Amino acid sequence: MPASNFHVEFSGVGVRIGMATILRDVELTVAPGESLGLFGANGAGKTTLLRVVATLLKPSGGSARVLGVNLDSPDRFDVRPRLGLIGHSPALYPELSLLANLEFAARVSGVSLAAAAEALRAVGMEQAADRPAGEASFGMQRRVEFAREIMLQPDLLLLDEPHSALDPSAIELVEHIVAGVLQRSGAVVLVSHDVDRVAPMVTRTAELRGGTIQ
Amino acid sequence: MNSGFWRQAMAVARRDLERERHAGEVVWVTIPFGAIALLLVPLAVGINQDVLSRIGTGMLFVVVMLFGVLTSIRRTNIETPPQRDAIALLGIDPVAEFAGKTAASAVVLLVFEVVMAAVAVALYGIDISGWWWMIIVLPLTAIGLAELGTISGAIAASVQAGPALVPLLVTPLAIPLLLGATQTVENIDPDGGNLSWLVLMAIVVLVLAIVGVLTARPLQETR
Amino acid sequence: MTARGRLAWLDITAVIAVVGALVFAMVSPRVESQGDSARMLFIHVPTIWLAYLAFAVTFVASIAFLVTRKLKWDLVAGSSAEIGVVFTTVAIIGGMIWGKATWNVYWTWDARLTLTAVMLFVYIGYLALRRAIPDPVARARRSSVLGILGLVQLIPVHFSVTWWRTLHQTNTFRPRDIQMDGPILAALLVSVAAFTLVYAALLRRRYQLAEMELEAHRAAAAAEGPVAGDAVSAPTIGST
Repeated sequence: MPASNFHVEFSGVGVRIGMATILRDVELTVAPGESLGLFGANGAGKTTLLRVVATLLKPSGGSARVLGVNLDSPDRFDVRPRLGLIGHSPALYPELSLLANLEFAARVSGVSLAAAAEALRAVGMEQAADRPAGEASFGMQRRVEFAREIMLQPDLLLLDEPHSALDPSAIELVEHIVAGVLQRSGAVVLVSHDVDRVAPMVTRTAELRGGTIQ
Repeated sequence: MNSGFWRQAMAVARRDLERERHAGEVVWVTIPFGAIALLLVPLAVGINQDVLSRIGTGMLFVVVMLFGVLTSIRRTNIETPPQRDAIALLGIDPVAEFAGKTAASAVVLLVFEVVMAAVAVALYGIDISGWWWMIIVLPLTAIGLAELGTISGAIAASVQAGPALVPLLVTPLAIPLLLGATQTVENIDPDGGNLSWLVLMAIVVLVLAIVGVLTARPLQETR
Repeated sequence: MTARGRLAWLDITAVIAVVGALVFAMVSPRVESQGDSARMLFIHVPTIWLAYLAFAVTFVASIAFLVTRKLKWDLVAGSSAEIGVVFTTVAIIGGMIWGKATWNVYWTWDARLTLTAVMLFVYIGYLALRRAIPDPVARARRSSVLGILGLVQLIPVHFSVTWWRTLHQTNTFRPRDIQMDGPILAALLVSVAAFTLVYAALLRRRYQLAEMELEAHRAAAAAEGPVAGDAVSAPTIGST
């Protein structure tokens, strides 16, 4: 099979959780340098689709390739370091300081601690570096998660409702990060229910309705 | 076992110990809870000093085992689903994660054991003539319990009833550690019997390490 | 369904074999030193043998699942563990009744009795884990690890409990102390063989049931059910 030209290549993908059909017959491709905005009402399956792309949820049917790797193969573990995901609830450890959270990700990924501090500065959070994540606001935690993606430079960045809890300057920051990923020939998939707000950072849009892409 | 493996294992161990240091769950909850259990025993069986000094070592290890299990379901050892997703996407080696988590838990358990031992000596007037064995017994018990806790924690991870299940999974399998620890320290067999108990404990620790390493990847695939 | 129907022969054979074995046991010579209570041997020994056999099958099937990733092995592992737990319980209760008849105590802290009790709890934990995971694949992966860990760890448990009892030797309940005359031994072997047939019959029945449960689960999942998101409709108050 020739190497895939797409960062995301889904064909006939379905997801069932228990008895419920969440997604069916999803056809989706995202090319390098492309930023896809995925829209849909509450419960349309946007987050589920994003988790499948992130290799965290196996599709129950269809063929799915991410960064050239079939999600059915054990190789899907190997593409994980090349993926970045910012989900809609924060993934930081509440007991650790904001900087310590970044440093943990740096150590696991083999990135220098200086890069962690630098990324925290880049998102304007160096003043709060020693604050425990549990005592930081949702918006501050989101900024730190963006700092993690600046530090790790993923080839495929997945964003779930990137606007929630962010002030205008942080939204500019997200736009900047998205532009950076695209410049490196990476790709972005972002999920939102607000078409207008994400318009500046997407190159293409798709709507999820009835469990499939319309 | 390249440098990446050790770097990741150290990062995980460091993360867990830091989280525990800030949360203080073991210091402020598990240790007082264990100490009060040691205090309850004389209230239930009577305060005959001979009886207490005789059962003291045994009670110590029963408490270490039953309450030590609580450290493997402590809040700072359990990840929320978003945290699990994030660490999965960092591309962590599951064996390194097992090693790091186990190392951190073993340190926490060792602290717990030492404090419990001091409380037991104070409350029960235990004859501590055989206690120099503790230098080996306590770390072996801590490592074995930590391994069991990490494997069971991974088995029960993201299962709704998971935290309730872990003690049931760990405790019966910890029996060789309980027997090994008490039999070594109580010095029942002066003809070198202690040594065979220590060897048994060491084998248990080794076998659990092998099981943990071999099953780390299949367990990772569940997420 | 033909395969499922044909298995009735195994069921019938197993029942006949057990009835035959019990009759054999009742007519076998009385063990003078133990009285009629020793006849419990003919149930006790086979049940404990079956418990070990069942858990060994769970262990082997768990490894087979992890190697082949075929769900049928997990069904075998789970089915066998269930039967093992039932037989372990019977064996413990039987051992306690014998203890009461022989030494006037239910529990003797005999190594075997203690070990069997530990084994029971290990596999109760295993079954509790299975119950807690609804998804067949996730359940298979997690419980296969426990099925392996459980049996591997039972080896040091066995050694530790045996050594512990050797150090604290009192009146130990050991079936091999009983003089095994030819007829008694023969009756015992017949009984073990008969109970093994029962195990085989129960395992196949339980496995079929597990297979049907899996089929039902798959059928329900494969049915083109309503799309989850369709449950959300536009609010009836406020703007669109």
